[in-house]
Amino acid sequence: MSEGARELGAASMLYVEDEADARQMVTRMLAMNYPMLEVYVAENGLAALEVYREHKADIVMTDINMPLMDGIRMSREIKEINPAVTIIAVTAHSDTSYLLSAIEIGVHNYVLKPLNYQELFAVLDKVLEQIALKRLVEQQHRRLEENERQLAVAQRIARLGSWQQDLDSGAMSWSEELYRICGVEPGTVTPSPASFLERFVPEDRDLVLKAIWGAGESGLAGPLFCRVLRPDGSFRTVRLEAETIVDTCGIRTVIGTCHDVTELKRAEEQVRTLTGELERRVEQRTSLLQATVSELESFSYFVSHDLRAPVARLEGYCTALLEDCGTCGHADCRRYAERAGLVVQQIKLIMDAFNSLTHLARCTLSIADADLSGIAKTVAGDLAVLHPGREVEFVIAEGLRVNGDPALLKKALEHLLYNAWKFTSKRERARIEFGITEQQGVPVYFVSDNGVGFNMKYADKLFKPFQTIHTPGEFAWNGTGIGLAIVHSIVLRHGGRIWAEGEVGTGATFYFTLAENPESGSYLRQG
Amino acid sequence: MAQSFILLVEDNPDDMFLACRIIRKVCTDEILVARDGEEASELLRRMEQEGGHDRIRLVLLDLKLPKISGLDILQFIRQNERLCQLPVAILTSSDNETDQETCWELGVVDYIYKPMTADRLKSVLSRGGGHE
Repeated sequence: MSEGARELGAASMLYVEDEADARQMVTRMLAMNYPMLEVYVAENGLAALEVYREHKADIVMTDINMPLMDGIRMSREIKEINPAVTIIAVTAHSDTSYLLSAIEIGVHNYVLKPLNYQELFAVLDKVLEQIALKRLVEQQHRRLEENERQLAVAQRIARLGSWQQDLDSGAMSWSEELYRICGVEPGTVTPSPASFLERFVPEDRDLVLKAIWGAGESGLAGPLFCRVLRPDGSFRTVRLEAETIVDTCGIRTVIGTCHDVTELKRAEEQVRTLTGELERRVEQRTSLLQATVSELESFSYFVSHDLRAPVARLEGYCTALLEDCGTCGHADCRRYAERAGLVVQQIKLIMDAFNSLTHLARCTLSIADADLSGIAKTVAGDLAVLHPGREVEFVIAEGLRVNGDPALLKKALEHLLYNAWKFTSKRERARIEFGITEQQGVPVYFVSDNGVGFNMKYADKLFKPFQTIHTPGEFAWNGTGIGLAIVHSIVLRHGGRIWAEGEVGTGATFYFTLAENPESGSYLRQG
Repeated sequence: MAQSFILLVEDNPDDMFLACRIIRKVCTDEILVARDGEEASELLRRMEQEGGHDRIRLVLLDLKLPKISGLDILQFIRQNERLCQLPVAILTSSDNETDQETCWELGVVDYIYKPMTADRLKSVLSRGGGHE
């Protein structure tokens, strides 16, 4: 017998023998020849049962004739505890009658007394080999069961049923999940191509045939989307795919999957509906916006062209009045003519302001790397040159660069810094700062001053054109009160936001944000 | 030498009055008025044929005119062999930049925004190569 069997995985044996000498001798021989075999001993049947209950050995080797409980009775009881146990009977020739009952209770191995070790080892080797084989089969079986369970659960979770068809015999099998997808209890329908077809709505059956026989002919079929009609009348949308497998013996089998995608399809449909709805709304809004835009455009055309001519006429008459009638008639004539002329100039300023605001809203931005710190320094320098005799401390943060239209951003900073300059004119130690702070992770630029400030009650008036919250003439007249409206428009065009904080007598701070990558296109141009 | 005159092409009566007032302040030239583009082009054509065109000292041309636009008149003048040297000044209230560029390219002596002032007209006449 091969040494291999003796080296096989560990096993245990309960050896039952009433003769102490024989017991010791055999135990020693076993230990020498079967180092992997764990041997427990007992001196009679009763003691052996005790030991067995504790250790559950794979093999029981037992004498037949023993006091208290003989080998046959003991074997029967052990078989009841563990039917899989292997029992080797050690028996004398005269025990033939016992032997028959031994066979009856499933004792299939025996060695004769007096013990011949050669014979004993031969039997033991065979038994150990059987045990090892049995263990291997059990292991494989367990693995198979595990795989099957895993597959079944996975199929259930994924709602993925499968089927298999032997192309030669036509025999078909379905996975449990396939039954469930079809709305029937697993096993209650005999799987066949015909019963498979019956699961589907009649108009989809041609498609399903393709999935089954298409795979048989070309090797692959699908994906196909079909509708299953359940016995309860409900529908499921499934995705069928199939593939032909040829095994080593040349047997061709089609294996197919049936994926229940009802919920997915429903969600897809919902997304499609929502997208359509969204697109409709966008279209609606766009056309509304376009209508507003074209109205605004015709209005701005009216202001910039049609209004110019009558205003020019008015101006001409004011001049004529002043020149031709200024020295005649009533003493107030000249004064009135002068005032009327000033009013015309104001109207022209307002028209220009309006046009520059509409231009800002419509023009295309030239986006580039804009050096805000550099721009602010230039503007501050220009202010100091233009208005000598003022002592103003400028604090300008270094290295502020953004993506934007440098010319427009310069215009915005000009207005903000000029405002700060103007409203600090009554301060002995004026201080103007341009810097950066942060709000919720967004960079916020600011221009702050220690000038006259403003009442927060009027904060929302600040950025509206032609509005001023200071008395005319209180500070240098800057035209039309359009500066902050221009800044507002420029910031908007850069995808940003602007707001101001101030306190009367303390100063004002103007904050603004700019989008990281502003759109260069004009949002007022019609598509 | 025969009396020289200024051709004013203007459709609006107020603008016409205001322009005439300034012209009379500045010079003694006769004023010839055309009230739309068609009238202006017919007048010019007749003068060209009858030989009166060399008495025109300056054409003051509005751009927005009924029937034929000011730009078309300017082009007509520039393309006509005998009229092409006429000094033309634009008198307009439009601030259309493209129009302005086109006019300068067509060799106008000035592009005046309404209302015209006496000083501006004086300067135009001094540059216009008139017959004085």
